[in-house]
Parts: sequence; C-alpha cells; structure tokens
Amino acid sequence: MGFSQDDFETFLAQRTEPDWLTTARREAWDRFLQMDWPGRREEEWIRTDIRLFKLHRYALPLADESQTVPDTVAAALTAGVELGGRVASYNGCSTTSQLDSHWAEKGVVFGPLDQVVETHGDLVKKYLFAKAVDPTFDRFASLHAAAWSSGMFLFVPRGVVLEQPLHSLATLGDGGVDLGHTLVVLEDGAEATMMCESGSVTPDGDGFHCGATEIIMGKGAHLRFVNLQDWSTGVWHFAHQKAVIDSDAQLQWTIAALGSRVSKVNQHVALVGPGADSQVNGVMFTEGKQHLSYHTLQHHIAPNCHSDFLYKGALQDKSRTVWRGMIKVDPRAQRTDGYQRNDSLLLSNTARADSIPGLEIEADDVRCTHGSTTGRVNDEMIFYAQSRGFTRQEAIRLIVSGFFQQIFDRVTIENVREALGHAIARRVREYE
Amino acid sequence: MADFIRVAKLEDIAEPGKQLVEVDDRLVVLFRVEGEIYCLDDICTHDGGPLGEGELSGFSIACPRHGACFDVRSGNAITMPATEATVAHEVKVEGGEIFVKLNEA
Repeated sequence: MGFSQDDFETFLAQRTEPDWLTTARREAWDRFLQMDWPGRREEEWIRTDIRLFKLHRYALPLADESQTVPDTVAAALTAGVELGGRVASYNGCSTTSQLDSHWAEKGVVFGPLDQVVETHGDLVKKYLFAKAVDPTFDRFASLHAAAWSSGMFLFVPRGVVLEQPLHSLATLGDGGVDLGHTLVVLEDGAEATMMCESGSVTPDGDGFHCGATEIIMGKGAHLRFVNLQDWSTGVWHFAHQKAVIDSDAQLQWTIAALGSRVSKVNQHVALVGPGADSQVNGVMFTEGKQHLSYHTLQHHIAPNCHSDFLYKGALQDKSRTVWRGMIKVDPRAQRTDGYQRNDSLLLSNTARADSIPGLEIEADDVRCTHGSTTGRVNDEMIFYAQSRGFTRQEAIRLIVSGFFQQIFDRVTIENVREALGHAIARRVREYE
Repeated sequence: MADFIRVAKLEDIAEPGKQLVEVDDRLVVLFRVEGEIYCLDDICTHDGGPLGEGELSGFSIACPRHGACFDVRSGNAITMPATEATVAHEVKVEGGEIFVKLNEA
C-alpha cells in the first residue's frame, strides 16, 4: 500500500462519511496529484531541504484490525491532571475516545474528527477548511485535505466554561503515517483548555506526519491550547496551523517542538474582531541533525487587537532551526499592538539558527515591535555556577532552563510548565 | 564505520561535469574535472544552498544563491560569503564505476 489512486479509493471505501466530505476529499486528491512538491527556490522552502523525503516509503493510514497498539508512549502533559476527556490515535487510526458525560450534557462535542463527522456532520461541515486553514496552500495541504484521518474535534457551545482540560495523543510506530486534523471551535463566551501531544514508539524510528490545526474562536471566548511535538528523530513533520479569533476573545497557544527529523510548520493567527488577543509561546530544542522550520504570521485584520509571539530555541550538535515571523497589519487595523521575538541559544559550534522577523504594516496608528537574538552560553556563567558546586552539565542545564524561564513564566498551566522543563533538561548534554 | 558505496557510472558524468547523487540518505555531488572524480556535500556552508545546481569552473563550484565558491578537491571555501569548508568525501573509481565513502565530519 502507498499513495496511489487505488490506495486512495481503498481509503475512501473504508469510510462511511457524508457525501460532501467525500467530494471535498476527491477534489483535494486531484489537486494533490496535479501539484508539485514545494521547490527550494521558493522563499518558504529555501532553507528547508525536503529532497530526501520520499512519499512512496509510506502509505495511507488504513484501518487495520490486526494492528496492535503499543502502550509505550506515555503522555507527558497529563501527570496529576484531572481530564474532562481524551482521544488517542496510533498510526493515524483512532484508539481511544472519551468525554465526561457532564460536559456532553452541556453540549460539548469532543472526539476523533473522523468519528464526529459521522455523528455531527453538519457541525463539522460548517468549520472544516471553511474559516481557517487553506487546503490549497501547497501540496502538503492538499494531501492532508484529501486523506486526513483520526484527528480531534472539540466544540464548546456558547457560554459553556469547560473547566477540565482535554487531551489528545497521537502516536507513530516505526514507518507510520499520521495525517491527523485538529479542529477546535469555541462559540461566543466559551472557555476551554486543550492539550495535544504527539510521540513515537521508537526514539529514532521513521515516520511521516502531514497535519493541520484549525482553531475558531467566537466573541469573548478563551482558549488555552498546548501542542507538544515529540516525534522520533526520523519523522518528517509538515503542518499548517491557523487560529481565527473574534472580538475580545483570548488565545494562549503554547507550542513545544522537540522531535522530528525535519519540521516545516506554518502557524497563522488571524485577529478578525476588535479586541482580539493572542499570545503564542514557542519552545524549540533540537539535537543531532534535526531541522525545525517555523513560519509564523500574526495577521491583524481588525482594530484594537493584541498579538504577542515569543519563540525560544536551544540547539545542540549539528541541528538547525529556521524561524520566520511576520506581523501583518491591514489598513483598517488601527491601534494594533503587535510583538514578536525569537531567541536562539547555540549549544555547539556546529548548530545553526536562522531567525527572520518581519513587519508589514498598512495602518498608521500602531505599535509593532520585533526582535531576534542568537548567542552562545556565556563561559563565565558556567564557571560561576561550577564555582558554586554545580557540575559542568548541571551548570549548563541551569543556564538553559533559565533561558527558557521567560516562556515558562508565561505558560499558565503548571503541569505543562513542569513537563516542558523536564523534557528540555533531559536533552541537554555537555556543552562544546 | 562508513564503507565505499557504488553511486554512479563514470560514463554518466560529462568531462567536465557534475552529478547529484543520494548516498545513504545523504545528498552529495560528484564532480569530474581533468580526469578525476571528486565528491562534496550538496551544501554551501554559507546559507545551505545546493552546490549541485551551481556553476563549475575548473576546480571551483559556485553556489547558485550567493556565489560562494568551493574547491571541489578539498571542499575548502575559496570566496566569500562562505568562510568554512563543506564536507569532502573519499572517492574511488573501479571498472568504470564510482564509489564514495562518506565522511561524517
């Protein structure tokens, strides 16, 4: 099995989906077949080489009853947390779905997207690829729109405050494929906390993720969204992520990118109603030959909105990060307050961080600031810590933790702060 | 320890000329100049550009992005904006076949 026309027909035949979705999948598949992979002369891809990515090595995720689901990937974000519901998948097929009846009675809809679309088709149709992610953006987006599977759907009705966090976990086996789609919809005045994790069974296993995340927030909604990407170092990770935030709604979006061989992520926040507010906290830690490329866009469409993006990355070995950020302010978005910053800490002589902040401002009454720093650990700081009794490695861990503290201080979920801190500390090795 | 891997036929590369090949999940470029075969990583150390798409002039390959030149014999950077050598790999030719031994440096 692979990604041939026959495989796609088998993929469709295994599903009992509404006609509108099957039609949309076929249109996206045709587009996928017609498009080329992005070329290295395109600005988006000039620093990210995918010539070694071979789609034929992978296969569409088909339901396989004989597939045994390993229990070796433990959720990192849920320790001590009383969850309101959870979903899980393995190699792109749903394995777990649960929501407390208390929340279901209040009208909350939560579960794997490909199951929810069978029970709440009209609700999903209203939002899927309708308001946020563009399924025609590139060949990866088209492939995802054609063949997404599993994934997660959360709908919180008007005024409902979902006090317990929800959790989703996507796991890949060696050579596995995950095309999960995350769709979160909060109606006016709704509140929720959503934690999404991804991980692999083997630390250096191969794999392919081509996903999308859509977040749609109504007026006055509040969402804390956490995404921890911890695939193995053989996984190709491609994702389009977009949040659309209406008037006076608040989004706190925390992204931790630790895994994958190559990551190329487009993260887009659109502030479409006056008073919308978004805070993005990005943590990247790379090692070996990992290559993580994040392209962010803060799009101020309405006036009086606030956006605050802070990305911090630490790199060791021969790893590389690319961060390219843009604040775009439309002519009518007066009194915009936009901020973006990217800090990189190089922990080896052979790591490389490319940081490219940008502004595109068409309004004349705005405050937009951006900044970027790239540097190495100060030897005097290591020496001082060692003089106070720390080993060299402890000293480096301390300094790296301190580097990320600014982000941890912004994350309002305690167990997420601790999980990220531990995950990074585990990875820090001797400083060259 | 890396070993020699057969990557191409000698007759497939013009004289002078170059060819991009994939070796053990890595992209490298073969160069044929004055009867000898050389092999470099397909990476410009300035901006990661693809040397295999550059212009070969004598023993010098120019990165197509910013024009940094490298010596195909050693990988050494010859001109700005590159200042560091790109990785050179061992090459041998036997029976009309080109073999490459990857250098991890």
